[in-house]
Amino acid sequence: MSTPVSSGRSASPVPQGAGNHTGTPLLAPTRSSTGKDGASSNLGTFGVKSGLAQMLKGGVIMDVVNAEQARIAEEAGACAVMALERVPADIRATGGVARMSDPKMIKEIVDAVTIPVMAKVRIGHFVEAQIIQAIGIDYIDESEVLTPADEEHHINKHAFKVPFVCGARNLGEALRRISEGAAFIRTKGEAGTGNVVEAVRHQRAVQSEIRKASVMSEEELYAYAKDLQAPFHLLKETARIKRLPVVNFAAGGVATPADAALMMQLGCDGVFVGSGIFHSGDPAKRARAIVQAVTHYNNPKILAEVSEDLGEAMVGLTITDDLKGGRLASRGW
Amino acid sequence: MQPSTHREEITIGILALQGAFVEHQAMLQKLSLKQRIHIVQVRTPEDLTKCDSLIIPGGESTTIALLARLAGLLGPLRDFVKVKPVWGTCAGAILLAQAAEGTKKGGQELLGGMSVTVMRNGFGSQVESFEAPLEVEGLRDSDRPFHGVFIRAPVVLSLDPSPSDPAIEIVSRISTALLPYNQTTLLPDEDVRDPRDPSTIVAVRQGRHLLTTFHPELTKDDRFHEYFIQRCVLPSLS
Repeated sequence: MSTPVSSGRSASPVPQGAGNHTGTPLLAPTRSSTGKDGASSNLGTFGVKSGLAQMLKGGVIMDVVNAEQARIAEEAGACAVMALERVPADIRATGGVARMSDPKMIKEIVDAVTIPVMAKVRIGHFVEAQIIQAIGIDYIDESEVLTPADEEHHINKHAFKVPFVCGARNLGEALRRISEGAAFIRTKGEAGTGNVVEAVRHQRAVQSEIRKASVMSEEELYAYAKDLQAPFHLLKETARIKRLPVVNFAAGGVATPADAALMMQLGCDGVFVGSGIFHSGDPAKRARAIVQAVTHYNNPKILAEVSEDLGEAMVGLTITDDLKGGRLASRGW
Repeated sequence: MQPSTHREEITIGILALQGAFVEHQAMLQKLSLKQRIHIVQVRTPEDLTKCDSLIIPGGESTTIALLARLAGLLGPLRDFVKVKPVWGTCAGAILLAQAAEGTKKGGQELLGGMSVTVMRNGFGSQVESFEAPLEVEGLRDSDRPFHGVFIRAPVVLSLDPSPSDPAIEIVSRISTALLPYNQTTLLPDEDVRDPRDPSTIVAVRQGRHLLTTFHPELTKDDRFHEYFIQRCVLPSLS
């Protein structure tokens, strides 16, 4: 039997609330301060931040650049959309400094759909984040796809009511972001390439490091935390529950239903698709096929059906040192 | 199926198309009841035929409805709702409602089953998501409040049973003092101050069905899962 949580408890220092494959108890932190009548409600707690990510699990979050694309994504079954001015493939092609999108464009997308809307801000640019929060967006992606505004610090995400998702290439990076307040983690992959190889590398790295940590003694965990440059308490919690303590999606290079199912079988909770949809021959059909692939990722028969006749996939790029637009995944500290 | 009142095993399906279904599963696995609980993650019509009852989890209602249609589950689910107990949390509550407002352009498919009209994202966007203690009628240790986690939650607009429908029981209301201060989406010019206002209703039971606009599966408190089995599932098997 689980122990019921009493109200009036202070928030746990450990972000908890990822879905989990091991059946470990899931806890939304109860941060109930005493108000009138001895009770009060709390907005923007870590529980509702990580809780929204839990509701997105098993779903596909699609990059869109206008209201029309957002509607196509919603009709295709996206569980959320990411509003941005240029998809990563276009950021690569055109170059220059990539910034937060025009709030007017983001608001048009919010008005067009009923599903959650996310928006990207530059790494470390907390004023862009304040602006996005002020227009009532549901999730912020502090993203390496945009040009970083700070080459040392990320945003202090605890200070916001709106939740944040951040990219990570390995366990240390993921836990540093969670310690800064991220309620949701994604692989970085290599955005705008249509090449899933980096997302696979990052997901495998995280999984392998979690497996190593899960069999370590406490002394070894102290040393491992130092190696990973990760906060010890978060590493210890991760080792205990044998997964990241928040929801973990795949992102960066997913272009086909098979790519999406691959990332799910590697242990991701859901998938972001950026350029892969609206840079393909038939966006609506491909989007719907990827949505189905994420639900039925363990059913090769359905995967075969939905992979049929999707038209042209986006043109992929091989990831080499002369990759146009450079390696975005190396941004973030 | 034998008409025994002492079934040793009950099969609870969890609609596993999208959303927080694993959380419900973890919760059910921790319950200690006389009956053994067998859990089925439902993704196909064949999965559904094995179930005595069903939980529809939180997630995105538009996504779940589309995936249900593509998997050929929409018809079987509507038939299931007519005869077997179903509990919907958040997005699941929207799907169980007979009508919803604030739906996507062109409207969206529902399963129906409960004489309730809801407003999607009735409190506003994610920055209006909140946690609040709830008093719940009929739970084990009902003196102890249940911790309500409301995430882009739907709001009940009205209860509208026709005379032939089973009676509706309001299981929990949220105190008006605890509603998020910003209710601009629902009520641009007024605060809800009337404790009998339908928008204070957060959990209802009608016949064999249960609807909660919040997420008991995100807490460590299993009393709502126990309530569903005791009040909805077991009576339907006898």
